Formats: sequence, C-alpha cells, structure tokens
Amino acid sequence: MLQPKDPAQKIELYLRQVRSGLRDLPEPQVADILQELRSHILESAQTGGALSDTATDAALQALGRPQEVASLYVAENFMARAESSRTPWMVLRGVFFWAMLSLKGFVVLTLCLIGYMFGAAFFIAALAKPFNPQAVGLWMTSPDSYSLMLGMTDSPRHGRELLGWFLIPVGCSLGGGTILLTTHFGLWCIRRFQRARVTLGLEGSHE
Amino acid sequence: MIAHPIETAAPPNSPMDKWEVQLRKGCLELAILASLWPGRLYGLEILRLLEQDSDLVITEGTVYPLLSRLKAEGLLHSEWVEADAGHPRKYYRLTAAGRRRVAAMGRIWSRFSASLNRLLSRVLKEEK
Repeated sequence: MLQPKDPAQKIELYLRQVRSGLRDLPEPQVADILQELRSHILESAQTGGALSDTATDAALQALGRPQEVASLYVAENFMARAESSRTPWMVLRGVFFWAMLSLKGFVVLTLCLIGYMFGAAFFIAALAKPFNPQAVGLWMTSPDSYSLMLGMTDSPRHGRELLGWFLIPVGCSLGGGTILLTTHFGLWCIRRFQRARVTLGLEGSHE
Repeated sequence: MIAHPIETAAPPNSPMDKWEVQLRKGCLELAILASLWPGRLYGLEILRLLEQDSDLVITEGTVYPLLSRLKAEGLLHSEWVEADAGHPRKYYRLTAAGRRRVAAMGRIWSRFSASLNRLLSRVLKEEK
C-alpha cells in the first residue's frame, strides 16, 4: 500500500481506519465520532494556520492506533447499552463480538450458551408438563444409579419420576434463576475482561 | 517520537507500572467530570486541563470514547459549536445528574484518600 505523503491524506487514512473498526455502531454516531476526531487532529496539528507534516504525525501518534481507538468506542458503547438493558440477548451479542477477538471471550461465550441452554431446558420441561404429564418429568433412569434425566422419555416404566407436578414451579424458578445468573455472569465477565483488554491494548500500542 | 500513553513513575511494564496505570485509569472518569465542573469545554481543552492540573497524562484516544459513554449514561450533554478555527468543536457540559455524580464521587474520594493517607503516613515516615 502506498504511504500517503500529504498531512490531509494521512488524517483521512487514519479516520478511514477508525471508521472500519466502528462497523457495529449506527451511522449517525459514526459520523459524529469521526467529526470530533477530525476536529481534534486538525486543532492539535495546526501550527500557525497550516498543517505541518511532523505535527500531524505527532497528533495521530498521541491519539493512539486507529483500531484501538475504534475498539474503545465499541467497547464503551456496548457496555453502556448492556448496562442499561441487561437482557440476555444484549449480553450474548456483546460476548459474541468479544469471542471473535479473543480466546477468553470464546470461553465466556461457551459458558453463557451452556447456561442459557440449561435455563431454556428447565422452562421447556415446565411448560411441556401439562401437555404430556405421563412422559415429562425429572426421571431417575434406573433404581440403582443416580443418573438423572430431565424431559420427555419413551420408557418411563423403568425409571422413577421425582418431582411430579412440582416440576412446573421448580422448572420455572430454576430456569429463571439460571438465565438470570448467566446474564449476571456474562455482564461481570464483560466488565472485567473487556476493561482489562482495552487498557492493556492501549498500553501496548506504542511499544 | 515514542509516546508512552501514561507516564508512570514506575519502570515500564513492571507490576508497579501496571498498578499505577490501573489506578490512573480508574480515576480518569472522576477527573473528566471534575474538569467540567466550572463550565463547558471541548475534548482538547479537557485533555490540556488534565495534563496541566493533574499528572493524569493519558493517551488522548482514551478520552473521547469515555466522553461518549458518559454522555450515553446521561452525565454529560454535548453540542457542536462553530469556531473561528475553521472546523466546529464539540463542547461538553455536566447535566444535573452529572453534577450530582461528581459531587458524590468527590466526597467518596476525599474520605477514602484521607484515611489511606493516615495509614500511609507511618510507612512513608519510617521509610525516610
């Protein structure tokens, strides 16, 4: 790729790189961010009304790498939104975005998915109980083992059902509790790791 | 030019350096809100004030995303103002919620630092 020589070109290239990292944000917000950064760069780089080459380089350097600045915006924006909505969907979206960046994010995404699937399974079992009370339940699959099975089974005669109609309140509260806990876990991880990543990312950016 | 984002007293990349970076980063939000207490400022003015009045020298790129979050949280209000410089400037000011927040944070900070200073006065005296 050709290196731009002109200070104005350098600034536009920098802003284009920031823009490419801001894909997840709505366009009016992106335009506002770029306008503010442009205004900052022009003002720091202008000496006596003209853009000097060295002052432009220094201004861009002081601002940090464009990808890092963009990822800070995305992280801060996402945290503000996850914080205000606190819904499983927002948490999963954020963790998914993070999982594409790092292994830690991938581990957290896997844990959250498992948590939400367990929560959904409890709910589905509770909802299905009235429709097929003979087959749906928490089954102890054989009398001499401690293996448990939740859900619908074809051969209930070998096993023993443990909860009966209590499956409905127990399933609903365990389902709700698991989903709530997973959401809190996801939010906690996002706050903790995302902050650390962003700080360390910027620390490393000038090395 | 190699700019260290935060000029710490400890040698770079030591555990103490990391601690100092985290400490300064933790205080950045309070410092930004406090800088806006007297009136409205734009990004570069906030940065210059922070460099001048406190030794919170920070990577400039961290301030703008933080300002955008504080605005999303309803603590700041922003407006574009045409300037003689030839490009408009985005000014920030504290909202009523922002003023309450910075006052509360300031009270917590001063209580916290006073008790920590009492504790540290013995350490620093004996170290001399």
